[in-house]
Amino acid sequence: MRQKANWVCVGLAGLFALVAAAHAQVVFETTSAYHHILVSDNQGIRTLYFDHAPETRMALADPLKGHFEYTEYFHMPWLWNTNLKNVLMIGLGGASVARAYQRYYPEVMFEVVELDPKVWHVAKEFFGVQESRTLRIFIEDGRLHLRRSRKKYDAIFMDAYTANRYGSYIPYSLATTEFFTLTLDRLTENGVLAYNVIGKLPTSRRDGEIVPALYQTLKAVFPQVYLFPAARDYNVVLLATTSAEPATLPKLNQRADALAAGKWAKTPQFKLRLQSFRSELPAGAAKVQPLTDDFAPLDGMLNVAP
Amino acid sequence: MRNWAAFLLAFLGGFALMVLEIVGARYLGKDFGGSFYVWISQIGVILIALALGYYVGGELADRFQRTSILAWLLASSGLFTFLMPDFAGRIIDAIVMRHPLDQPIPRIWQKLDPALGSGLIFLLPCFVLAMLSPFLIRLAARKLAHVGRVSGLVYAASTTGSIAGVFTSGYVLIDRFSLTQIFRATGVLTVLLGAMCFLMDRWLVDDQSEMKES
Repeated sequence: MRQKANWVCVGLAGLFALVAAAHAQVVFETTSAYHHILVSDNQGIRTLYFDHAPETRMALADPLKGHFEYTEYFHMPWLWNTNLKNVLMIGLGGASVARAYQRYYPEVMFEVVELDPKVWHVAKEFFGVQESRTLRIFIEDGRLHLRRSRKKYDAIFMDAYTANRYGSYIPYSLATTEFFTLTLDRLTENGVLAYNVIGKLPTSRRDGEIVPALYQTLKAVFPQVYLFPAARDYNVVLLATTSAEPATLPKLNQRADALAAGKWAKTPQFKLRLQSFRSELPAGAAKVQPLTDDFAPLDGMLNVAP
Repeated sequence: MRNWAAFLLAFLGGFALMVLEIVGARYLGKDFGGSFYVWISQIGVILIALALGYYVGGELADRFQRTSILAWLLASSGLFTFLMPDFAGRIIDAIVMRHPLDQPIPRIWQKLDPALGSGLIFLLPCFVLAMLSPFLIRLAARKLAHVGRVSGLVYAASTTGSIAGVFTSGYVLIDRFSLTQIFRATGVLTVLLGAMCFLMDRWLVDDQSEMKES
């Protein structure tokens, strides 16, 4: 009898799982010149997919929740510059970072460059961002935009991806020493470049060379590079500073405490996220050459998500 | 023997052409970004080069009936390809910087600028490489009754070379060599094709004079 009840339980659980999966409701679907774009809602979470790879998550009840962990590392530049005024982000997606900046730091001028006009449409319609006095969108290639702009930024955020069945990968023109030299030139004093890399800190050969390669490429241009590996997800945010002074976790913790007393670093988990800080050379980086416009075999290091 | 020479030349010509197309798209990508229009323009421009090259190549083949003219064209286009890494950057710079700074490039030019870049850089060498096929058909087909077989052979050889060029570029060359090295090597290959045409010309002329004597 007990046995039978167990089977009923298992059956019911399975049925619930099926119902939950079936509940993933497609809100919007389109194909652009760059991606197959899908927006779906499941259990209160709205997810944006490019070619079946999840790009953005957002809680429907509170748009400032439900996001991927890596987006919180884009708040770390406050530790190097408490006076961020102009920020440029390349790669919009579902606008998690733009939304958070508009909410937490409404006085910061936030510019986004997005290649795909349909992505901007989707972000407006389904992820609640609006162009405003302090949020501007440019539909253009990120590198071309930066090259043709003479403006300086206090921070530049990189989150431009394309995806295919095998995972997400970085457009190679946004990952070379020539590109980073351009970003360095467009950063102000105490400027910070934050780069989301889909990948993990390598512990074995199977983890790929993408993080070490990006690290070495940034290090060839910027005086200091740090890493923030996401605890739960398959992301590492690399942070490159124009400041040559080496940062350490105790020093950054002190700064974070000082910030918390003021109007900065208002994200609820700022201090917790800071603990992901790494300053040591990632394993395998010594063997990797920086990527250049002339030689960037990024497709050969295609990042396979686990 | 003639057929084998034609096969080899057509194969190598097709190979060089597709290396230029694939690696060229990669090259344009660093300035025009991951833009979809880079591929559209590169494919479109190479097809224009093929159409023009086939037509003009056929005309020249009938008029001169010797590969020596093609030898010179290939040698100069090989030199052009060899020097590409040195001048192409400036052409692209002129294209993207001609729009007013500090504002986005108009949508229409976002689409057309990559085609302009492909056209100015890759049209000429691909146009000359495309001339090879009609020339080879003209020279290898000695009897009207064999034109079908010979032209089929040349098309097949050139397309097989192109297939090899696509896969070699995408799977091997881009991962192992710098773009500069690949362009330089393709330039050298094109000059070698010119030299082979020159030798073939001498050989065919000897052949013809022998035929007249006998």
